[in-house]
Amino acid sequence: MSVFIIPILLILLIIYGVYKKINVYSAFCQGAKKSFDLIKGIFPYIVAIMICIALFRISGLGMLLVKLLSPLFCLLGIPVEVCELVLLKPFTGSGSISLLQDIIAKYGADSYISYCACTIMGSSETVFYVSSVYFAGSKQKIAPAIIISLLGGVISSVLGCFICRFI
Amino acid sequence: MFISLGVLVFVEPNLILSTMIEQSKNVVKLCIDLLAIYAVWLGILEIVDQSGLGDKLSKLLSPIIKSLFKIDDKQQIKYVSYNLSCNLLGLGNAATPSGITAVKYMEKDLKKTKFAMLLLLVINSTGIQLLPTTVIGLLTSAGSKTASKIIIPTIISSVVATIICVSLLFVYKKIKKI
Repeated sequence: MSVFIIPILLILLIIYGVYKKINVYSAFCQGAKKSFDLIKGIFPYIVAIMICIALFRISGLGMLLVKLLSPLFCLLGIPVEVCELVLLKPFTGSGSISLLQDIIAKYGADSYISYCACTIMGSSETVFYVSSVYFAGSKQKIAPAIIISLLGGVISSVLGCFICRFI
Repeated sequence: MFISLGVLVFVEPNLILSTMIEQSKNVVKLCIDLLAIYAVWLGILEIVDQSGLGDKLSKLLSPIIKSLFKIDDKQQIKYVSYNLSCNLLGLGNAATPSGITAVKYMEKDLKKTKFAMLLLLVINSTGIQLLPTTVIGLLTSAGSKTASKIIIPTIISSVVATIICVSLLFVYKKIKKI
């Protein structure tokens, strides 16, 4: 069902555009042209953030953080097997997907652990990546928003693992 | 960054530069992907914009956005409403370009939009998603027969987390008086 929603919306949009007598083709091209400027603007900031994250991981500090915070997460009801995922998710999307695949392969697709991991994956975002993209070159101080978003990731993980017990 | 570099100098100094370049390469690949995705979505967005549909959408959502974000610039409201509607539809990739544009418009008026920018970031990085398609795909390909079971916990936990975060931000705003 959901496969059809986007194409139908697009068809309706084009019909509406023609009805409003705008040049749909040139409008699309004008919009698509903006893509280059957008990427040009955010590229350097993503590079910088991604390098920081990678250095943090390979230096072993990442694992240290996982070890330090895992007991705390266990107290909150998050299974120990998925603690690493909760901590990895804010940093990297692709990295956490491969970790999720490992977890699913290890514990089986229909296990409680896998359900927890998938819920965590689906209900949180790559906070550092999102903030570097949205606020590329911005002078605005966004630290409070990042802290609140990270906290939100933990809250949704705790809640997700809790609800998963009942399905 | 500084601490990780300091540790690495002692542990594995030969990895530093190669990791940095490797990461930069990954970002180049990522940006090419994003370039393609954004081109499609920005194109569609432009049709929405020129056909006048965008103004209608922002008129519809502007009471909510005005009271939550405390902004009254027309362009800002328009792009925030694009961003929010794409997020609700689960179109994360379409939400990003409109979000960036909204931030650019807010930048011009930094004093008034401080809170709006923080709120936009919080909403976008707590990740409301109505259909977690990627994860369901992963589970199904791993042989799960009941992958759709995770939809309900995902929606509930992300919606609740977003509500809590937005309220926290409002509390922060009260304390700091921004």
